[in-house]
Amino acid sequence: MTTGSVGTSQPRFGGYGRVTGRQRYLADIHLEDALHVKLVTVPSARARIISIDASAAKEIPGVRLVMTAADLPDPMPRHGPQYQDRPVIAVDEVKYHGEPVAAVAAETKEAAEEAARVVEVAYEELPAIVTVADALAPDADLVQERSIRRPGSLIDSNVLCEYNFGWGDVDAAEADVVVEGSYAWPAQTHFAIEPHGFMAAADEDGIVVWSTIQHPYQLQKTIAQVLDWPLAKVRVIAPDPGGGFGGKQHPKLEPLIAFMAVKAGRPMRLVLTLDETFMAVRRASAEIQVRMGFKRDGTLVFQDFANDFLVGAYGDTGDRITAKASWLSAGPYRTPSVRIRARAILTHTTPTHPYRGFGIPHVGWARESCLTEAAAALEMDPLEIRLKNLARKGEEHVPGDTPADGEWEQTVRKAADEIGWGTPTPPGRGRGLAIGVKSGPTTGLSYSIVRLLVDGSVLVFSGTSDMGQGARTIFAQIAADELGVPIDQVSVVMGDTAIVPFDQQTSASRSSVLMGNAVLFACRDIQAQVRGIAARSHDLDESEIVVDRGTVQLPDSRLAIVDVVKAGLGKLGGELIGTGEMRKDAVPEHPLGGTASFFEFNCTAVELEVDEKTGSITIDRHVTVGDVGLALNPIQVKGQDDGAAIMGLGHALMEHIIRDDSGRVRNVGAIDYRIPTSLDLPLELESFMIENADGPGPYGVKGISEGSLLVTAPAIAGAVTDAVGVVIRDLPMSPERVWRAMREHS
Amino acid sequence: MQPFTYARPETVEAAIALLAEHRGDAELLAGGTDLIIELRNRWKTPKVVIDLKRIDELAPAIVEKDGFLSISASTVMADIVADERVQRLFPALVEAADVVGSIQIRNRATLAGNICNGSPAADTAPPLLVYEAEVVIAGTEGRRRMRVDDFIVGRGEVALGDAELVTAIELPIPAEPIGSAFTRMTRRRGTDLASITLCCGVDSAGMTRLAYGSVGPRALLILDDSGVLADPAATHEEKAPYLDRMFVDASPSPTSMRAGPEYRVAMLPVLGARALQTAIERLAHAT
Repeated sequence: MTTGSVGTSQPRFGGYGRVTGRQRYLADIHLEDALHVKLVTVPSARARIISIDASAAKEIPGVRLVMTAADLPDPMPRHGPQYQDRPVIAVDEVKYHGEPVAAVAAETKEAAEEAARVVEVAYEELPAIVTVADALAPDADLVQERSIRRPGSLIDSNVLCEYNFGWGDVDAAEADVVVEGSYAWPAQTHFAIEPHGFMAAADEDGIVVWSTIQHPYQLQKTIAQVLDWPLAKVRVIAPDPGGGFGGKQHPKLEPLIAFMAVKAGRPMRLVLTLDETFMAVRRASAEIQVRMGFKRDGTLVFQDFANDFLVGAYGDTGDRITAKASWLSAGPYRTPSVRIRARAILTHTTPTHPYRGFGIPHVGWARESCLTEAAAALEMDPLEIRLKNLARKGEEHVPGDTPADGEWEQTVRKAADEIGWGTPTPPGRGRGLAIGVKSGPTTGLSYSIVRLLVDGSVLVFSGTSDMGQGARTIFAQIAADELGVPIDQVSVVMGDTAIVPFDQQTSASRSSVLMGNAVLFACRDIQAQVRGIAARSHDLDESEIVVDRGTVQLPDSRLAIVDVVKAGLGKLGGELIGTGEMRKDAVPEHPLGGTASFFEFNCTAVELEVDEKTGSITIDRHVTVGDVGLALNPIQVKGQDDGAAIMGLGHALMEHIIRDDSGRVRNVGAIDYRIPTSLDLPLELESFMIENADGPGPYGVKGISEGSLLVTAPAIAGAVTDAVGVVIRDLPMSPERVWRAMREHS
Repeated sequence: MQPFTYARPETVEAAIALLAEHRGDAELLAGGTDLIIELRNRWKTPKVVIDLKRIDELAPAIVEKDGFLSISASTVMADIVADERVQRLFPALVEAADVVGSIQIRNRATLAGNICNGSPAADTAPPLLVYEAEVVIAGTEGRRRMRVDDFIVGRGEVALGDAELVTAIELPIPAEPIGSAFTRMTRRRGTDLASITLCCGVDSAGMTRLAYGSVGPRALLILDDSGVLADPAATHEEKAPYLDRMFVDASPSPTSMRAGPEYRVAMLPVLGARALQTAIERLAHAT
């Protein structure tokens, strides 16, 4: 008796609460007796802290604690997902605009704000390094002192790390035509509607930390490490975030809040303003140089990349973004020789954090733009040149890594068909098309516990965070089908390390695949137990019984799992408990630490017109097609793809962080950092899926949710070239930038 | 936000008395869409905030009197957009009011507040200049009237004394039809602050009134009585020099994040020509 919810558009678990304001976000949780925290910052990108005088702040009624570096252990505890270099609070030197130098805790939010204003910080502004060129200058100051760098040849430079990937021999490759260009990707901010928030309460039993974090188990580890407490004494409660987009992956201010809670003996609460989130986290910017060599017929001979990712003052995930994105610089194409030199460069800017796409949009912007320029140089069709070089299923586009794992040509042709590629373009319009490919997780570890209760209802426990992507619904669908119960009989429990088992993280579009498998395996564990119960109840050998997708098949009859369990559990009731573990182990000799679990493969195609007087772009039709393996929940896949496409439009057309000459962020907040509204959408926007059930997740799913923003910008830039003949290599493609390009062109 | 005293007078006179008492330390609250942000960010730290919304005389109203359409001080943008007389007589004001902030903002923000705030980018300033609107001002010395063109002084500055407030904005009802249109340039199509605001009005006598903002300390009104601009038969090439002349006083900020000065200057005649064309078409339709 399968309920058949897998593959259907089930309503979103928690969706009603989200759209009616009933969902309890972190900021809706009010701890009794909590003190309100406000951060103290200085208006500089880099400054030497001379002294901090909190006496005036302490005079303000209700102020209970002013925390500075002097109140923390010496040496200053440091943390970070890759590098343990980020101090709990700035010590000696402010290294980016907005880095907190002190924090005030008071009985009311107003008192904390008032007190934060009167903490007197004496500081000396120092010249900040904010560009790649500044950072690499021979006499450049070092962003990080040696003591917080990893030993090695780069320790006396601002290069955090450098990678050299490739195969074949680029220098020896013989090309008929070489095309090259430099492409820049500006920094952006995540702009989750829910700002980051943190709370902590400590007592003799340990500490509870509430956070909007995407990775509760990583936060548990970080807090245990900085406090030097056992994991079991650190409980992390992570309510479903209101959007994350990568910006809530790793711990940031939680260690500070934890130390404050311990010191004051009172719970602490800090909910950032939108402006403060701009200071807390950003996306990497990058400068990418590409050279591509071709045979006269368009066959790729080599690709040569020099990728400089401008990361922030602390390592955070800057190295990982640089490596993982650069690894796939050459894209999904068959290329005999590839050379990739990639560097992550430290600057006095907000630490770079993961952001939907994880650097792939940066390299995709460069590669796909260069490919479009190459098509023009070779007098070829931009679609044809791509199809000619595209790896077919089973081919290794990156030697030694997972081969092409889908019918990618099908995806590209679908996008081309949907945009009307090859049909006459209406006057004044242009079309563009680009292909993106991103590695899924390279390692992973997810556990799930599933409990089938005596009445036939089900509890699914998962350490995944549902921040709007719909993970709860997906896991409920799997459990409902495997155990044969209606989906409304399933509850999904998340967000509390005292309750749910370990999960490595919610990132890299992994959850449907990795946690999905863990849930599936937990259900199969229950199915195995059901088989035993059925064998005992019906006096059969287990080999005579098949349990699958909700049913128990006996030699002469077919029963529902729930009925077998109810009968088997008898008068005392009880439950069946299944556990599932999904592990994707590291491959130590692999440069990324592991092969791709799957690829997110996308083709984006647009048709647009350019106002030749103003440079303003109007997108008439925007199509994205993703190779999803199988859509467990089609409406959720479409929602993710549509959402990513719109986010990609923001990056392509309007979003960028603007800094002044001294490195301060100028466009802090919503007024001068613009994201697309409903009025900014293409006149038509459609997302399509290719389903061949060829993914590694349950029933053949692949991860989705990043695909549709991987190559939005190069698809649009290609269409702009097609429409008005200009080539754009910098973002965003604001009307002013397009206008300048047209003026220079004419 | 710094603590302040909240006052809610019931007459214009009482409000003026409060203003006079707190000279310079009082702020007026109508829609609050600018003031609340300024208070929250401590850009303004008044001792007293005077809420005007309980004053009967200032209650939301759009009425015809003495040849004017009078819009009271607490009338919000959404009401202006929805008013049939404003739509018919002053369509460019409707177009401007309809892009101020977001729907939520337009349900609270007042026309009087938009002008008194003195923002160079105030969307409603260019149409009020083109329509030759006047402000009605109440103070300790009684009432006075002033052209909006004289009232607007510069960035954040209007000709309003410490103990004065605007009770209404009044637009003269044109005896002869005017063709008019508003347009602007923004970074995105949704809610945004403009990098150019522009309104054009033409009449059958051949007069062209063009007002533009966000490219200098205040919105400017320029008149052209050559007849060339308003002439439906004149070509774009014939009009271009006249149009260019109207923008010689534009001085966009070199440091603005919204758009570079060179681009703004280049876009003024583009937007001007488009608004002019619409205005001419509307005049033809009306006559």
